[in-house]
Amino acid sequence: MSKESRRTNRERLRQERIKQKKRAKRNRLLATIGAAVAVIALVVGGGYLIVQASNGTSAEEYTGTLAPQTLQEDGSVVMALDGVAAPVVEVYADYQCSHCARFEMINGDTLKELAAQGEAIVHYRPVSIFADAGDPAGANSLRAAAAARAAAEHGKFVEYSDILFDNQPSTRQQGYAVDDLIAWGEEVGITDPAFAERVRSESEIVEEFVTNYYPELSTKARAEIPEDQLRTMRLNDLIEWGEDNGVDSSFMDGSHVRSVLDATAAVNAKYSEGANAFGGTPSIYINGTLLGNETYSATDFREAVLAAPPGQVDTRPAAEEDTDATPSEPPSPSPPA
Amino acid sequence: MSTGTEENALSGGADSIRDEAPPAEPAATSRWAAVQPWLSLIVRVALAGILGYAGYTKVIVPALSVESVAAYELFGETLNQLIGYTLPLFELALALLLLAGLATRVTGIISALLMAVFIAGIASAWARGLTIDCGCFGTGGVVDADETTYALDIARDLGFMALGLFLAIWPRSRYSLDGALGLYSSSDEER
Repeated sequence: MSKESRRTNRERLRQERIKQKKRAKRNRLLATIGAAVAVIALVVGGGYLIVQASNGTSAEEYTGTLAPQTLQEDGSVVMALDGVAAPVVEVYADYQCSHCARFEMINGDTLKELAAQGEAIVHYRPVSIFADAGDPAGANSLRAAAAARAAAEHGKFVEYSDILFDNQPSTRQQGYAVDDLIAWGEEVGITDPAFAERVRSESEIVEEFVTNYYPELSTKARAEIPEDQLRTMRLNDLIEWGEDNGVDSSFMDGSHVRSVLDATAAVNAKYSEGANAFGGTPSIYINGTLLGNETYSATDFREAVLAAPPGQVDTRPAAEEDTDATPSEPPSPSPPA
Repeated sequence: MSTGTEENALSGGADSIRDEAPPAEPAATSRWAAVQPWLSLIVRVALAGILGYAGYTKVIVPALSVESVAAYELFGETLNQLIGYTLPLFELALALLLLAGLATRVTGIISALLMAVFIAGIASAWARGLTIDCGCFGTGGVVDADETTYALDIARDLGFMALGLFLAIWPRSRYSLDGALGLYSSSDEER
């Protein structure tokens, strides 16, 4: 064999080795990418199953009888078996707030069930944190909250509230139209024409609030109140300031709109600081303690309620006739939670 | 990290011994070659921390994660649910890969692409006049008009994107599974 051919042979071998090395490298790279893809699939797929199972997208639907609903002096509603000893679950929600709709979707039925079983006293306290957001969000929020209060006067708050959340509009879209609000009342069995009338008159007040009153108030306030002071003022402070400065709010007197705004001011005052400070909706308090992430977990929420001791409702029932609270079976002996 | 003790650490890979030593290079290049694997390590850990945190804050409250996606008003409820549940997990998986240093280049590219998607989403929300929190780290949803921080969010995501691209260009790093597996060794880093 010639020197020449030995050299080409060696050269070929060398080329072969390089090729092999390259192939090995490519295989390693592909294997690595494959492993990475497997890790992603495992984490995402496995995690999805775990999250689904442990959190539950929503509680099981509750179709049983509701515990009696009692309208309170401040327009809020207590849903509980008569005389039951159970933890008080306060639900502060705004009908325009999407997190609130999410909470209702996840835990609304759990609340109904726990109340019906005598495991919870549910205190629904609709507020409006969107009131000063103008049209459409502010108007939507106020119209819905006022209509819910009207429904509460006819003993159908919980049923009506469900429909409102199911039909929540986007914050940029006009929703909760007067005709719809009235039709939903019929849907939950409110036949009294007084309801439709009330919804209409409340909606007019909302209209006035959003288009005339609040813009005027806010313009005047911005012109006359130093900015750093203005920033610390809540809507109710502004309204009060307006009273003394020529922005008359008497058009709201006696309306549900006013009572919604009062309720919003009240929760800010009641839970003004510390870990339990009211910071927006939805805020769920169990015996006065603000819930955290449990709010959005079907399982954790139920556990939090069941673990709490009995509590006291801090409002009194409205003086008028006691809604249509059908006397239910005597409260089950409340088990020590 | 740029101590002079790394003069021979041209490759963090296990097969550095197998590869013939590269010919002597200009000082600046070899300096970079020494520093780069450490820089890439820092970038890896930083990006892992960012993605891990973003994933964690969302995965603990999946309902709000869904809500954050819904706030963009881009998809229907079903898709919102799917994205809301899986996106945080995807972020966590990427964080895991970055931390382990597995398939660093591909992971870097995917991370950068993910950031590009986020930026597109934020820009579209901005352009449509939505007033939302980007929901990048847990809390999303509608906020007051004067509380939006779109420009800041986009700038931040551009920064994160740069980290991903850095790894796409210089995937070789210290303490990585890639290195242990002999990937991205110095011989194929001829750039």
